[in-house]
Formats: sequence, structure tokens, C-alpha cells
Amino acid sequence: MKRFCKVVSVGLVSCALSLSALTSSADRSVKVLGWGAQSGPLKSFGVNSETALRSAVAEINAAGGVKLGDGSMAPIEVIGYEDSACKKDQNIAILRKTASTTDAIVGMGATCSGSCQAMFGVLQKKVGDSSDSGLQMPILADTCIRPGLAKISEWAFRNVPNEIAMYDALFAWLSQQHPDIKTFSGGTETDQGHSFITHTAVIVQAAIKHGFEWVGPAVPELGPKVKQGMKELQAAAKTQHWLMGDTNYTVQARKIKKQNPDMILVSSHPFSACGFLKEMKRQRVKPKLLVGLTSSASQETLNGCMKEAEGIIIPTGFAPITAEAQKANDIVGKAGGFLDLHSAAAWENAYLVKAAVEAAGITASSDSVDADRAKFRDALASITASDGLIGPVSRDTATGEASKPYVYVQVVDGQWKVIHDPRG
Amino acid sequence: MDDFWYEFVEVTQTITDGLLFGSTYALIGIGFTLIFGAMGKLNMAYAGAALAGAYAGLAAFVLVKAPLVVVFGVSAVAAALLGYAIYFTCFRFIPTHNHLAALMASVGGLFFIDEVVVHVTRGSPLTFPSMFDDIYFEIGPFGIRGDLVFVFIIGLLSTGVLLYILFKTRLGLATRAVAQQDIAARLCGIGVHTTNSVTFAIAGVLGGIAGAMTAAAVGVLSPVMTVPLTVKGIIVAVLGGLGSIPGAIIAGLFIGGFENVFLYFRGIDERDMYVVALLFLFLVFRPNGLFGSTITRD
Amino acid sequence: MDYYLNLINTIGIHTLLGLSAYLLILTGQVSMAQAGFFGVGAYTAAILTVIFQWSILSAIGAAMLVAGGLAFLVGFPALRVRGLMLVVATIAFSEFARMFFYNLRWQVVRDGTEIGPNGTMGFAEIRYFNNNGWLNWEVTIFLWTFVVVVMAIIWWSDRTRVGAVLRAVGEDELAADSTGINVTVVKVAAMTAGGVVAGLAGSLYAHQVTDLDHHTFTVLLATFAIAYPILGGLTNVFGTLVAVVFIQGLLVEGLRFLGDWRMLLFGALIIVAMNFKPMGLFDNQTIRILQNALGIKRRGGST
Repeated sequence: MKRFCKVVSVGLVSCALSLSALTSSADRSVKVLGWGAQSGPLKSFGVNSETALRSAVAEINAAGGVKLGDGSMAPIEVIGYEDSACKKDQNIAILRKTASTTDAIVGMGATCSGSCQAMFGVLQKKVGDSSDSGLQMPILADTCIRPGLAKISEWAFRNVPNEIAMYDALFAWLSQQHPDIKTFSGGTETDQGHSFITHTAVIVQAAIKHGFEWVGPAVPELGPKVKQGMKELQAAAKTQHWLMGDTNYTVQARKIKKQNPDMILVSSHPFSACGFLKEMKRQRVKPKLLVGLTSSASQETLNGCMKEAEGIIIPTGFAPITAEAQKANDIVGKAGGFLDLHSAAAWENAYLVKAAVEAAGITASSDSVDADRAKFRDALASITASDGLIGPVSRDTATGEASKPYVYVQVVDGQWKVIHDPRG
Repeated sequence: MDDFWYEFVEVTQTITDGLLFGSTYALIGIGFTLIFGAMGKLNMAYAGAALAGAYAGLAAFVLVKAPLVVVFGVSAVAAALLGYAIYFTCFRFIPTHNHLAALMASVGGLFFIDEVVVHVTRGSPLTFPSMFDDIYFEIGPFGIRGDLVFVFIIGLLSTGVLLYILFKTRLGLATRAVAQQDIAARLCGIGVHTTNSVTFAIAGVLGGIAGAMTAAAVGVLSPVMTVPLTVKGIIVAVLGGLGSIPGAIIAGLFIGGFENVFLYFRGIDERDMYVVALLFLFLVFRPNGLFGSTITRD
Repeated sequence: MDYYLNLINTIGIHTLLGLSAYLLILTGQVSMAQAGFFGVGAYTAAILTVIFQWSILSAIGAAMLVAGGLAFLVGFPALRVRGLMLVVATIAFSEFARMFFYNLRWQVVRDGTEIGPNGTMGFAEIRYFNNNGWLNWEVTIFLWTFVVVVMAIIWWSDRTRVGAVLRAVGEDELAADSTGINVTVVKVAAMTAGGVVAGLAGSLYAHQVTDLDHHTFTVLLATFAIAYPILGGLTNVFGTLVAVVFIQGLLVEGLRFLGDWRMLLFGALIIVAMNFKPMGLFDNQTIRILQNALGIKRRGGST
């Protein structure tokens, strides 16, 4: 027995030694750690984002990887993808874990806007402010879409579509295409921050700006500018709104039916959007046009109410309309995920990471992690343009936000079809 | 006068819709109250199992294009099996006087079932076949959803069947005996664990039907429904009086109706606040709910 | 290090939350209201430090008072309901509190940005610790001082008549009443104390995560609050701590390597724990084993 143990331990030690010799030369890689909702009702978001991220990284590595500061090429390594379950404390735990126990130079998450809000809050607000003990770790988010989050901290970056621009352009186009449509009304889920604020501060106002008339409860303060009349609208329309887990939409549907609008906005995520759409169908409400929330331009909506969603138009940041997009779509599809405006951003983020790493001249060795993170942040902050899957993306260096190209999609025969690309 | 008539129609319609929708809450409430009445325990996993049953029914529809009756049947059977599994894992081996441990174990069961559903479906909402979707009775200015009337009728029928089982069969006799005095029941040769398992299974059948009906009434199934349905089901069971099946029905309709009325008058922000305030007041002034217990003597 | 400090902080906060429910369960009241008091404490402290720029200690103190005061008010109607009814009544209270936060809007403009709770959008940037340059280990020590003090107080009172009285009421109200214990006073006092501790936990939580919204203070959180003392066992305060370490440390963080199997195991392991140790993980049997292992002599007469 003793001899056996001796042999085994000698063997193990030599294995370890040779392994470390092997890995030390190929050791350097640019490490990133991702996270998103991989349990709970938003599981598909996390799964899709992870699949997209890993697929994109595999593509980058297959093409040679990224160029480090000393000129050598190194792969990007996704050292993990964690489940943050849309819980603030878990998101912060993962962030702190990434920052303090790994060599990752950037954290790539999360899924839920509330989680991003919390995470960005624990970061150092302004770079170089020594009185601020916040975390100094760059975060590049792909899905947290609620407006205005990245300005919470200079270490926070997002690659999310700009809904103000999208809906503005959408209604401009719709007013040209459908001169027969004059009036509109609609509802939203009020306990979901993203839907609620986008509906009452952006979408309604964009419709008014382009000549559509609000025939819901009277709100004299409503106007064409973003947030104009937002609070009054929230109060006035509260009998035609719902909660994201509601099962009974009878009152809301009937209220909107009585208003008899030509166009109806359904600004909510797939479950309650489908619940509402199905109730409208039961009550024989047949508007000429339906407009939805960006996040619902996804497979979930088709899973939930393919028939009732027929005809709904949504502006989105992703559709397989370019060769790049088509290729990415195929790769991610084969890997078991779906590309939509959220997960496509995760794919693009991999390339954004590459661009920032190369601009920063990172050394990617384990004793320079803090310096690398700072350099990476600076580089990412100074990138003003990058390649998106459906077109060039411009970045705002002041806020850390992106300005992305978009197209309009519509459910036609149970599938999402691109009906217009505003770039011509 | 015209305005008053208009308001009257609207409010009546609102109440009617709410009452009919409340049948779905009632069915879930009956399940909670049945288990409480029979065992004095709260099965927190109940609504989760009911929805999981509905998912099983949906699977039958999606995979083999089963007709609606079969979908409901599969939901009922699946939920009954789950009910038995929950009894076995969360209640069977825990000492009867230990309410807290059983409660916590069933909470664990709820988390587990919910997460399994999320895993299988990736959390995506799924469309559920509707029943009688095109049937919409129009009586003057009022409209009544045919499918909700069906749910209401099924609710009444299930109550009838349940009460028949409880009071006219040996099984029901055994259940009531175990509920009142399990030691004496054992002495009479009644297998306590067998009886309880069967109670859970019967409650499961009801739950599966309730889950499928709720899914059919909404048209969509999603894991986000589990917690609100659990809370509502418990509220309904307690409001109706724990152990009282007719109480659960009335409480369910009550909650459904009130919910809608509050929404109509005060909007979505305050709707649920009034419902819970109502519940809180009710409990303070009438702690035993509407009707006491039909199953146990307390 | 930072990650582990953060985990220790989370364990501390959840231990306080669990202890607030522990006090109540001792008196036989299974209360789901702790999530509501937790939320009240969180929002009160956050509003005070962010909008009124109070110091953290005063804010926490005020939060404890407000939550405790509210608990006192809830304690009286709670007397009228027992057992499962109390569970439901307290669920109703927590839900009411949650909806209150969902509607709460109090925005103030400072340095060009709007701060303060904003309804569904939540209450962002509660950055007292970071803005004042607190280091992570300083926060941990600060937070855990509170935890240790609360645990010590409860531990100590458990060994005196206070603990006996609480448990007597929990065991058998009628018997307790007939020995001259004022059951009303005991139960309301327990509810108030529970509220104070939950408010403390909430105020610390708000500053640790820097962001609050109504989604946090749900029935699920209330369930966790009672899960800790139930899972841990009611013998003493360490049971609750053990349960928090088990759930937050092992199940939530420790099992991360399992990827998406983690949440599946979560529910399953709770079921297993309750089946094998229905009196809690830290029950008399565990204590006996520990005492034997550590060679501590048992106090006479206890089983």
C-alpha cells in the first residue's frame, strides 16, 4: 500500500509539473466571464445569450483570436457563464466573484434591467475617483434594455438598441404607409420597468409625434416629446394596463375595444402580451394595426400566440438580413440557441471585446489584471464605431451606450418577416 | 341617464367576467382546502403541480394532437401522479404533528416542480388550446365568455363529485375519519397513509383540471403563473374557510369578481392592494373564513 | 476576497431576516410579514441616506424604529388569527407592503439627475458605502457587528426567563396564560422585535445591493425568511445561521458549478433536509453530536 501511494504521488507530481510546463506557453488568453438568467421564466434569454457569446468567441478564435499588446495572438476564453436568475444579490455576487477571483477583464451580463441597475450601482462611478470605493471592473451588457442605465457608472457599457430612435422611425414610416390609420390606444404591463417606461415615455409619444391620435383616456399633457405627459398617462390609463403575470384581461380588452382605435399598442413581454392578444380576439377586437414591444420580437411570442400575434409589427435590432447575420443565425441555431435582438448583441459583444482588447494593447498575464481592466475600459469607452450583425453600430463615448441599426419585423403566416429596412 | 345605464352595463359586465374567471381560482382553492381539511397541512406545491399537469396535457396536444378532452384527462392524471409524489416526498415521512417541516418540504417541492417546468420549456410561454373560443353569448349589451361558463360548470360538477365521494363512499368516510381522529381511524383498520395518498391524488386530479382550465382560459401557459396562482389559491381556501369546499367556490368567485371591480374603478396599481386589504380585514373580523370546515370537526 | 466578503455579508443579512422570523415562530406565530418589514426598513434607510443625506447609523436606527412601529401595529390584528390563517394574513400584509413600494414615487433632483424611489423602475444608486469610500471589509465588520449583537441578545434571552416565556406561549397558549403570562403582550412584543430585526436587515440590504424594487419583496422572500428558522431548527440561534449558510452559501453560491442543475437541486435538497431532519438541521441530535465531538459536558436534564 505504501509503495502504491508513493508511485501514485510521484506520478501525480510529475503530471502536474509537465502540465504546467505545457500550459505556460499557451497560458495567455483573454478571459471573459458571462452571466444571465438561466433559471426561472427568463431562462431562454440566458441560454440564448450564452450560446451566442460562445459561438462568436469560437468564430473569433478559429480566425486566429485577438492580438495582444506584444503582438502575439491569443484566444478569447469564456471562463464561465453563470446563472444570475434576475436576482440583484446573485448578480452582484457573480460580479464580485468575477472581479476578485478570476482574471476576466470584462464581465458580460446580465439579462434583467433591474439586475444591471443594481450591478452598475456597485461600480466606481467615475474613473479615477479615489474617494469612491466602488468596484473597478468593466461590464458589457447585452440584454438590460431599460433606457439610461449605462450612465450610472463609467465602468458600465451596453450594446442595446435605442428604443427612442426605433419607435420614432417606425411611426414615421407607418404614418406614410398607412394614411388610413388615424387613431390609436394601447396597454402595457406596469410591474415590468422596461415595458412600462418604454410605453408611457417613448412609444405613445412617438406615435403622437407622427400624427396618430391617442383615443385612450384623455391626457391633455401628452405630446410628441419623449416623456411628455408620461406621468399623467400612467395615471389616466391605469384601467387598461395589466401586470406581467396576470391571467384575466377582460376589463382591459373591453376598455380598449370601446375606444375603437385603428392601431393598438401592446407594450409587454410575450406572456402577458399573448394573454391580452388572445382576450382581444375573444372579444372580437380587430384593429387595423398592432404594434409591440421590442423584446417581444422573439421566438417566445410565436410560441405563445402565433395566431393571435399575426400582423403585429415590432422594431428590432436583429434579423437575418445580411450575410453576417445569416451566418451567425445558422451557427447559433445549430448550437441550440436563437438569435434575437438581445442575444445578437451578445454575439456582437464578443467582437467588441476583440476590438477593445486590440486597441488597448492588453498583456493578458495574471499579474496585470487590474491594469488590463482599466486599459480595457478606457479602450472600450473610446470606441465610437463597431460592426454590428446587420450594420455598423455607433457608440456614445459619454454614456457607454450604443446606437444600433434596426429593421421592422412583422408576424406573417406564423413567422417573423422583415417588412422594412429604414436604411433603404 | 344614458351615462348611468352605460356605467351599469360596464360594471355588471365587469363583475360577471370576474365571477366567471374566479371559477379558476375556486378550483385551485378547493385543492388547497381539501388537503388542509383532510390532513391539517398546507401543500405549498399544489398550484405548481396543477400547472405541471397542464403542461403534461399540453404535451399530449402538441405531440399527438390529442382532442381537448384527452388533454384535460392527461392533465388530471399527471397532476394526480404528482400529487401522490408530493405526498410521498414531503408529507409521508415527516411526523404528523410537525406542520412546519411538511410546509417547508412542500415549498421545496414547489421550487423543484417549477424549475423542472422551466428546464423543459426554457421558460418560454406556450400557447394552450382553447375551448369553446368562438362561443360568446350576447345577451343584449352583455357578453359572456362561453369557455368561462364551461369552467364554472366544471367547477360545480367537480364540487358535486367531490362531495359525493366524501360523504357517500367508503373512501370519503375513511378520509373524514382520518381527518378527525387518525389514531382511532387506524384502530378501525383504516390505512392512514393509503387514505392520505388517495386524498392527495384526488386533489391532484382536481388540480390538473384546474390548471388545464386556467391555461385554456388565458390561452397561454407560463412558469410566471405559479406564484400568483399559489397565493390566490391559498387566499381563496382561507377566505372560504379551511376545509370547506363550498366555501372555496364562493371565495374564488368573490375574489375574481372583486379583482375585476377594483381594476375597473381604481386601475391596475391599486387593484391588488384592495384585494389583500379586503383579505386582511376579513381575516381579522372573521378568522374562520366564510364557512368553517366540512371535512373535519374542529 | 471581495466575493467572499460579499457572500459573508449576504449571509449576515439573511441571518437577520431569519432571526426576525425565528422570534415569531418561537411564540407559535408563523409570520410571512417579515418580507414586508424588511422592505420597509430597506426603503426607509435608503430614502434617508440618499434623499436626506443622513449618516448610515441614523438611517438604520430610524429604519428599525419605523419597521418596528409598523410591526407593533400589525401585531394586534394578528392576534385574532392563528396557524394557517396567520400565514395568510401576513402574506396579505407583505403583499400590501410590496404594492405600496411598487406605487412609491419620491423623486428629487440632485446634481442634475433624479434620485429616489420611482415606482416600478425601482430605487437606484443607493451608494452610501461607495460614495463615502467604505472598503469591503469595513462594510462586512459593520454589518456583522449588528448580526453578532442581535444573535447575542437572542441567545442570552433564550437562556433567561424571556426565552422560556416566548417558548411557553409557542408551546401552549392556554397553559402559558394560566400561569400568569400575558400572552397578548408576549405575542405583540415578539412581532415588534421581529419587525425591528427585519427592518435592520432591510436597511443593510439596501446599501449592499445599491438598488431596490418591489420585485425583491415578494412572498418568495417571506418564504425564505421562515425557511431559515424552520430548516435550522428552533433550538437556538445558531440553527438559523446554519440554515442560512446552507441555503445561501451551499445551495445558491456553492452549487454554481452545477450550472443550470443548481436550481433543480435547490428544491430537492430542501425536501431531503426536511425529511431527514424535520426538527431542523441544528436540532437536539446535532447538538448532542457536536457536544460529544467537542467533549462538552451536557447540561443536566436536557435531552
